[in-house]
Amino acid sequence: MTLSLVLRFASRDWRAGELRLLLAALLLAVGAVSAISLFVDRLHRALIAESTTFLGADRVIDSSRPIPDAFREAATERGIVQADVITFPSMVFAASEGNDRNLLASVKAVAAGYPLRGTLRTAGEPFSEGAFTDALPAPGEVWMDSRLFPALGVAVGDRVAVGYEEFTVGAVLTAEPDRGGSFFDFAPRLLMRAEDVPATRVVQPGSRIGYRLALAGDDAPLASLYDAISEELRPNYRWRSIRDANATIGRALERAESFLLLGGLLAVLLAGIAVALGANRYSRRHFDHVAVLKTLGATPSDIQWGYTGVLLVIGLAGAVLGLVLGALVHLGIIAALGRFLPIDLPMPGPRPLFIGLVTGFICLLAFALPPLLALRGISPMRVIRRDLAHGVAPAVTYSFAIIGSLGLLVWYSGNVFLTIWALLGAVVTGSVFASMALLLLRGGRVLGMQAGSVWRLALAGLQRRYRENVAQIMIFGFAIMLLLIMLLVRTALIDEWQAQIPEGTPNHFLMNVGSDEADAVQELLTSRTEYEGELFPMIRGRITEVNGMSSREWREQRRELRRGPDGPPRGPSTRGSRNLTFSAELPENNVLVDGEWWPADGDEPLVSLEADYAEDNGLSIGDTLGFDIGGLPLAAEVANIRRVEWDSLAPNFFLILSPAALKGYPATYMTSFHLPKEQKRFLSELLAAHPSITVIDVDGIIAQVRGIIDRVTQAVELVLYLVLSAGVLVLIASIQSSRDQRLREHALLRALGGTRKLIGGALVSEFAVLGVFAGLVAVIGAEITVYALNTQIFELSHAFHPWLWAAGPAFGMALIAAVGYLGTRKLVHSPPATVLREV
Amino acid sequence: MSTPILSAQAVVKRVPTAEGELTILDQIDLAVGAGDQVAVVGESGSGKTTLLGILAGLDLPSSGEVWLDGDQITAMGEEDRARVRGRCVGFVFQSFQLIDSLTALENVMLPLELRGDRQARDDARDFLDRVGLGARTTHYPRQLSGGEQQRVAIARAFASGPKVLFADEPTGNLDTATGAKVADLLFDLNREAGTTLVLVTHDAALASRCGATITLAAGRIVEPLLEAVE
Repeated sequence: MTLSLVLRFASRDWRAGELRLLLAALLLAVGAVSAISLFVDRLHRALIAESTTFLGADRVIDSSRPIPDAFREAATERGIVQADVITFPSMVFAASEGNDRNLLASVKAVAAGYPLRGTLRTAGEPFSEGAFTDALPAPGEVWMDSRLFPALGVAVGDRVAVGYEEFTVGAVLTAEPDRGGSFFDFAPRLLMRAEDVPATRVVQPGSRIGYRLALAGDDAPLASLYDAISEELRPNYRWRSIRDANATIGRALERAESFLLLGGLLAVLLAGIAVALGANRYSRRHFDHVAVLKTLGATPSDIQWGYTGVLLVIGLAGAVLGLVLGALVHLGIIAALGRFLPIDLPMPGPRPLFIGLVTGFICLLAFALPPLLALRGISPMRVIRRDLAHGVAPAVTYSFAIIGSLGLLVWYSGNVFLTIWALLGAVVTGSVFASMALLLLRGGRVLGMQAGSVWRLALAGLQRRYRENVAQIMIFGFAIMLLLIMLLVRTALIDEWQAQIPEGTPNHFLMNVGSDEADAVQELLTSRTEYEGELFPMIRGRITEVNGMSSREWREQRRELRRGPDGPPRGPSTRGSRNLTFSAELPENNVLVDGEWWPADGDEPLVSLEADYAEDNGLSIGDTLGFDIGGLPLAAEVANIRRVEWDSLAPNFFLILSPAALKGYPATYMTSFHLPKEQKRFLSELLAAHPSITVIDVDGIIAQVRGIIDRVTQAVELVLYLVLSAGVLVLIASIQSSRDQRLREHALLRALGGTRKLIGGALVSEFAVLGVFAGLVAVIGAEITVYALNTQIFELSHAFHPWLWAAGPAFGMALIAAVGYLGTRKLVHSPPATVLREV
Repeated sequence: MSTPILSAQAVVKRVPTAEGELTILDQIDLAVGAGDQVAVVGESGSGKTTLLGILAGLDLPSSGEVWLDGDQITAMGEEDRARVRGRCVGFVFQSFQLIDSLTALENVMLPLELRGDRQARDDARDFLDRVGLGARTTHYPRQLSGGEQQRVAIARAFASGPKVLFADEPTGNLDTATGAKVADLLFDLNREAGTTLVLVTHDAALASRCGATITLAAGRIVEPLLEAVE
């Protein structure tokens, strides 16, 4: 067949309306997938951009050594924007007459360009919210945390001294984007210009200084930079991205991505089903057509290539129009949600469009080609005998579709695990569905014998065409199941996220409480706030020995054992001091994973280790650790290993000792508590009564985490709605594809005297019964799949959903009866002769 | 009889049924000369339509040979048989078998397009003129009466210039008067083109217009190729 003949055939089929369902299905497939991909891609980029404000950059290189110029040059070569940040602790002094108050501050000296991502916030008054600003302190000026003001007894405009240099206090610093990195950056912040640092003469060899090179740029140059310098990074420089910077955000993002991906996968599957249904209908309506063509001399190859050609023409049209549709839909979503999406979405990459295009063609090949290839085998004898059997074996169709879906899903998601779970769920439930649907239809027929005429007619109709109806129940059930899966997983995800930062999460840390003040502070907190916690003693100490070996020897031995002579050292560091605490009880947010907690009144010196810390340092139960605490030695045996919820915003410790080990050593105390916004003044009161204690306000961090989680939640819900509409369209396509046969039967009944009411009633009842059955099988499939997804992919706790067992079938009944009625209403009201001629 | 353009030797057709194998055609031998007009008659279920399908290469016999225009079509695959049909066979069916989604003109163009005729449109228009439907070219089958539809089908059958025309109850779905007109048209065009005609019918009057008649009963030829008495 020549191309021009194929085009002529395609245009005639189009004119006759034969290709519309197929094209619509294809448009839906490409449109839904590209709309979801485009939106997800842009949202993803936006979320990443948003989250990078947590770092104040896209990536950072941290070190206790100055950043080598080689790194800067390599970054400049790749067009990466950079800003230097130096942090160091320093005493800050009030520099006015008669005021000699001072406090240890964490000084951050920044170069022009900082912050590369996110915005600073400043205010004129301490403890107020402040406003965003693009400025930095002018040279000779500093901005300070609220709590430095009462502690130093200064106000904006006063002078303070850092080292040998005096500065004017220019503003109150109320938020900085990269504050969230570490809760252990306890001291209040003082922000100044990097060029002012030398004059302070604070930075000397041996000072504790943190050097940071903040980087901003596209993923590709950043990755290339990492590859170029990764060798030199180890062991002294740390390369960090948002995922390392904050575990909560990182995990929320990962899960959201998985979910959006899952949504995309389901949309692809639904679209594939719609394409298959459209192609089946097209093919069935062409049996006679093909038989006639064959009598006129069309060979089987002509038929095969001709219809493949028509399919490609449609595929091309569907793909191009689908992309346009997808782009429009995604713009529509963005426009509709503009109010809820207060972030600017960056431009999408080319991948979403490519995904849409390839999806369209694979859908065609896997789902539409098999029914069309069946046309090749149509016997020309059909022109004489209409009843001749025909068609491909369903097994061939199904295997094509399964292979197609598998390929598409793996390629699309790049996540074999997720794909296999989704598909395994589909296949297993598919076979369970088929046998259940058959049983339900048989049972329905028996019940129907006793029912009124409308129901008897409906149930007899279902039983008579049981093959088609089993298939339709499977399709309906599958579509409803996919929708339920989305709904359940979404609910579980969002609940989990919301639970991470519940109302009343501690938003202030209290540190440096002296042992003589502890009781008074506890008293004050309990009486003035809703505080119910306890103060943890904090003792600084160094680990000097492991199992009688010096820590250094232990580290060398571990290095040899685990990584060979060139591996990084493993073992407790002897250099820095650690925060130690003691407790009679296992603290909240801690779970024992090995060993037992010590008795409250025990007298043995024991130590409990955080699980990752134990693993990293090669320590296990029974090992003995030797400590140096303010010059006094202490030995304690490892009694148990704990897992800690680091995100809980409660004080957490790597090492907890038994009271017997640490009691008597000089300690300061710490705790965390929640203080509502309107009670912030309490802080001034607390600091006035206990000027030496340190208060750290983490409200900003919590608000940032909440903001990101809210947006991820919105994204997740949006995708749910998109998949939902794809699902409804599949239902419509499915009802369309079975319409002809149903209508022919019912038109015959009407010709024999059935009233419209009877026929309409029977049609709606038939669809309602199909809906109930489909809802039932969908619930079973959804429960199983969601269980697997929650436990295997999203790592969420799982509970079954009793309400679903009632809601699923009811939803199926209402939805399918409604869609079925709307799809057939017009023809029920046309004269039977018209219907018989049309179908 | 002139040189046979169509012949069958020992053609048998059996089909499996629930009650075992059913023999539909049993040892059919026949030969039709080029330009002859042969009617195949018999009662319903006698195997007429099955025989037509096999002679035209639409179906294969269980055993036996069929020769059409010098080719043994029973030894060919569907691909080659389709080519033979395209080259030398035309059909007229009881139920017209026009394609609903195509206009009258497009239906007639189909066989010409399939063989790559560049003047398909003009040729098809000529044939529609000859069957008296020159004014109805843009009408769809459902907008035409039964008689008109069959005239379109006849135009389509002759458009490709077939050597053998197979007609299966061509007037079976038409009233007597319309049927007579359609039959006249069929025979007139056939005579003009000198086409061989194989006509399946149980209408004795129609059969009598053919030069010869084959009578089938229970799958066997009971009156072999009687020359009609003019």
